[in-house]
Amino acid sequence: MTLDVTFELNGVPVTATVEPHHTLREALRRLGMFSVHYGSDSGETGAAAVLYDGRLASSDVILAASADGHSVTTVESLNVSPDLHPVQTAFVAVGAFQSGYSAGAMILGTLALLEENPDPSEDEIRDMLSGILDRETAYVKPVEAVKRTAAVLRGTETEPFAPLVIDSLTDGSRPPAEPPTGSPAPEAPHAVPRLVPSREVPDMAVVGKPEVKVDAVRLAKGNPAFTDDIEPRGMLYAKVLRSPHAHARIVSIDDSAARAVPGVHAVLHHGNTLRVKYASGGQSWPNPHPYDQVSFDDRVRHVGDRVAAVAAETVEAAEEAVRLIEVTYDVLPAVFDERFAMDPDAPKVHDEEDTTHICDPQRNLVHHIAAKRGDVEGNLAAAPHVFEQTFRVHQVQQCPIEPHISMAWLDSDERMVVRTATQVPFHTRRMLAPLIDMDIKDIRVIKPRIGGGFGAKQEMLIEDIVAHLAIATRRPVRLELDRAEEFYASRTRHPQTITYRTAVDGDGRLLAQDMSIIGNTGPYGTHGFTVQIVSGLRGLTSYNAASKRFDCHVVYTNIPVPGAYRGYGAPQAEFALEAHMEDIARALDLDPIEFKRRNWVKVGDEMDIAPHLGERAVAEEELDEYPRIMSSGIEECVAQGMREVDWNRRNDAAWKAPADRPNIRRGIGFAFCMHGTAIPFLDMGGCSIKLNDDGSFNMLIGATDLGTGADTVIGQIAAEVLGVPLDDIKVYSSDTDMTPFDTGAYASSTTYISGTAALRAAEAVRERLKARAAMLLEVDEPCTIELRDRRAYAADGRSVTLEEIALDSLHWQEQEQIMGTASHVSPDCPPPFAAQFAEVEVDVDTGQVTVTKLVMAVDCGVAINPVTASGQVEGGMIQALGYAHCEEIVLDDGGRMVNPSFGPYKIYRADEMPDTVVYLVQTMEDSGPFGAKAVAEIPKDGVAPAVRNAILDATGVAINDLPFTPERVWAALQAAASQRPSG
Amino acid sequence: MPLVAEYHRPASLDEALELLGSPRRVALAGGTMLNADREPSDLEAVDLQALGLDTIAATDAGRVRIGATATLDAVRRCELLGDSLRDLARAEQPSTLRTLATVGGLVAKASSESLLLAALLAHDAQVELVGSSAAAAESGLAGLLATGVPRGSLVTAVTVDPSGRTATARTGRTPADVPIVAAYGRRIEGFAAVALTGVADHPVLVDVGDPTSGLNPAGDFRGSREYRLHLAGTLTARVMQELHL
Repeated sequence: MTLDVTFELNGVPVTATVEPHHTLREALRRLGMFSVHYGSDSGETGAAAVLYDGRLASSDVILAASADGHSVTTVESLNVSPDLHPVQTAFVAVGAFQSGYSAGAMILGTLALLEENPDPSEDEIRDMLSGILDRETAYVKPVEAVKRTAAVLRGTETEPFAPLVIDSLTDGSRPPAEPPTGSPAPEAPHAVPRLVPSREVPDMAVVGKPEVKVDAVRLAKGNPAFTDDIEPRGMLYAKVLRSPHAHARIVSIDDSAARAVPGVHAVLHHGNTLRVKYASGGQSWPNPHPYDQVSFDDRVRHVGDRVAAVAAETVEAAEEAVRLIEVTYDVLPAVFDERFAMDPDAPKVHDEEDTTHICDPQRNLVHHIAAKRGDVEGNLAAAPHVFEQTFRVHQVQQCPIEPHISMAWLDSDERMVVRTATQVPFHTRRMLAPLIDMDIKDIRVIKPRIGGGFGAKQEMLIEDIVAHLAIATRRPVRLELDRAEEFYASRTRHPQTITYRTAVDGDGRLLAQDMSIIGNTGPYGTHGFTVQIVSGLRGLTSYNAASKRFDCHVVYTNIPVPGAYRGYGAPQAEFALEAHMEDIARALDLDPIEFKRRNWVKVGDEMDIAPHLGERAVAEEELDEYPRIMSSGIEECVAQGMREVDWNRRNDAAWKAPADRPNIRRGIGFAFCMHGTAIPFLDMGGCSIKLNDDGSFNMLIGATDLGTGADTVIGQIAAEVLGVPLDDIKVYSSDTDMTPFDTGAYASSTTYISGTAALRAAEAVRERLKARAAMLLEVDEPCTIELRDRRAYAADGRSVTLEEIALDSLHWQEQEQIMGTASHVSPDCPPPFAAQFAEVEVDVDTGQVTVTKLVMAVDCGVAINPVTASGQVEGGMIQALGYAHCEEIVLDDGGRMVNPSFGPYKIYRADEMPDTVVYLVQTMEDSGPFGAKAVAEIPKDGVAPAVRNAILDATGVAINDLPFTPERVWAALQAAASQRPSG
Repeated sequence: MPLVAEYHRPASLDEALELLGSPRRVALAGGTMLNADREPSDLEAVDLQALGLDTIAATDAGRVRIGATATLDAVRRCELLGDSLRDLARAEQPSTLRTLATVGGLVAKASSESLLLAALLAHDAQVELVGSSAAAAESGLAGLLATGVPRGSLVTAVTVDPSGRTATARTGRTPADVPIVAAYGRRIEGFAAVALTGVADHPVLVDVGDPTSGLNPAGDFRGSREYRLHLAGTLTARVMQELHL
């Protein structure tokens, strides 16, 4: 049965033929309104919000039939000319879009709000944004965009959005002589990054400037850019049958009823699909073992594991077919807690014969990782102070608002084309080939715009399913996970149990650090090895110690599969480390910052355990040379952060226990943060740049912009070298047929690795431009030519335009295509540093913790674009706050996730955010492009320990498990109270 | 959303009631609950939007009558209601859903966690019903929450007494989280009422002198039974203190 519904769409009456169950979102997308995006079926993401009779509303939960007679407005209504509407302009100008997946909703909400109230308060703005979940920006810059739009529409002049440059408080290497808390912090809107420049960094034309993102227009206009925004003719829709059991053997599958559903074209399962072993983590060749997965297995190992997949003419037919597949399971016992996985009587998660390289399958032990420097046991035995603590960190999900989505088809040459939301297109192509029995050369992976990834998409997760189905049906096939599947059937962060033993001498210096981890990799290895390696790296390189030891057991269990998640093992380790160091300081009656400073690594210090950990770890016990810290701005970061958070209030009893709120205690916490920049000798990026007739350039990069601004930042690097504005660099990424290889978007590598590749490619182009300019200007020494302002200048001031060079080289004399190609891999891994501060209020009667302020001062080298860099920090901090405070995957006794939707799984929304302030402290990292280091992941590292230490400061109670939910905090307060002497 | 097989938009209450006489048919008010459900069904949706049940108006008795299809956003904007009710209507749902969710839907769902519903209880909410001969034309909200809306009946309006001094106390994971437990108190001359969320199958009015008496909350991952009882006592005491009770 179909219905004809008529409504006004963007001011024009339209009639659509729909079925009764179609939502308005589905109808709008069929009408070409691609700004309306899927985030969930229940509407709480707001990605599909439209103006419905002038009010912001989620079109996910409006029946298309209900819209009959109503007015619907999408952001496409603003796209009446090449120019942007003032709302779009404001969002673009302040860097309010990262992935831009929910851009349309934010713009429409702003329009509706300002229509009603031209001068809204910040609370009203945040309330408007409360229905649009943003996993990327922490809402900081969107709020600023609304304010600026309001000002513009009221006719108020606004200054260009730019960082606030502030003076340094230190000499760069030592703390200030006086505590930096006496003077007020600089005032500016929170969205404005505070930039502390370095004298070593020269002023540049494009690098270091708050350039507008190269993809801003397409995002602001809601133009079709994402995976789902094209629809190949004849496309089929896939759905996956998933296991209801945490652990079971599949005895039989009867798919006859499913195949009989009208419109069903294929049903795949272990009985009719190639059994090829693989590891799904998107990592460099050779992927770390074990290869413990197949596309469809006769065994399921977690609730949500794949059982079968269907391709059908409609989603509904595919869903119906999935329901009709009859599966007989032999249900097996399951294990969920990593602490019990190695018990002799624990169920064996992998006992199949064709999975090799499991360390000890009888104990569910996937890997045993060990590394050591110095005499740990001797130092522990001899030290005057020894401290031991165990911490437990939990399982959370990345929550990209765009769930995993892929489509695949065979092109006219019968090559497999996969258009997919991935962070690792080149790894995906290589890993997919054996699974579908095709050569790599016959596979093309296209990465369009991605609606967030955060590591979840550093995985070959569903691409094999759509490819198998495309082969089986010879039709294009699309598969999109729903929100519940995204929670329990994609990837998550590894839970860990972490134990530290630390020996300290009489002067408060570390003699030994012994870190033990039991890492829970769930039912499959994927990133299990490398994540724990990073935990070891971050957990044992932040502080100097005479001896160190890392001992890690990575175990199988039956929880939803952990994988890569922004931070990649560092947030777990740094929570434990910074909590442990805080408690040691308190036990020794030392100021925590001073104690940490005494021990943290400084310029020139060795990262001595680093070479002994990693995918290509050095086996020798001693090396002639170890990597060293070459740049660090941590002292400036600490000083700026202390001033901003007003650290001295820790000693103000009246502030800490406000008289008018007797149940409230306040506290401030600190965490020292250190991360990595790319994986040395492993991460590689390529770049190709060619000159066009008009003096502009096409830049092809394999790097994968997830919304981070990578395309913009890499474009800025090339523009700086070539002496042109950013707009003259047309960036295309990434497509395995078209762009050079890149390992992908992970490990905080893109600016540093792919950016350096772009730098070198641009330098190659620059040499040819200079040579051609010298020819045109009749200059003997091309090296004397300078490029700037789209021209090539001779030393005597004469010049030619790049357009003239282009026309000459392409059309006139000694013709050539001026182009440059380069790649880069680095032997270095220069750490960014940061000081993270958190301010909290604890309700001691209920355990409720309210985080009132977060401050992060980051040394990321030279921020190529301070606006996008600060956006990374803001968004990362709030993801990290969710990890610390409210996010958790909760499983019932059978391993079923009980909270697979937003709300029960709580992520922060705009109307409940703490104040967030970001400082960018420049240092010059000589190994990075124009001095850059990484910035994307370090914001994930310090929030949990800073909040934990703030709770400790407020209440005197140390909590060693995450997250700090009200009942956990209340129970800890109760336990502490019960241990105090009575009377 | 459920794979609704048919869609109806009745033009009158009589037509709506006739349609809803079939057990396959369900009332569609705002759609935020029904349409969010992906489980398959052969339900038919009876869309109430054309019935004119969306007005909010003062009554002669000093109460405010809120039509069943009035959205939470309309409640938020209604100056006939006090600031506390309006703010709870705002907080009940985020911006993109409160423009769709309705008061009638709120009553029909009877969510244990709804602070707005608790507030309606404290404001002596009466529910107007049509349809079932077994149901009174007007029922107290408290009783209706306990029994559920009778099959064959339709909520057409809720009336409340907006007067009185009010106080709210809540505990959640974050400031805008759905509270684990919340207390809403209202005091008018000679009368005080406190309603709690998160301690029963639906919001309940409690004895202000012994607020945890008779409560037997089910625990979940956000709060155990014991913790919820503790919060019930603590939060009730807070609203009573704020109301000088």
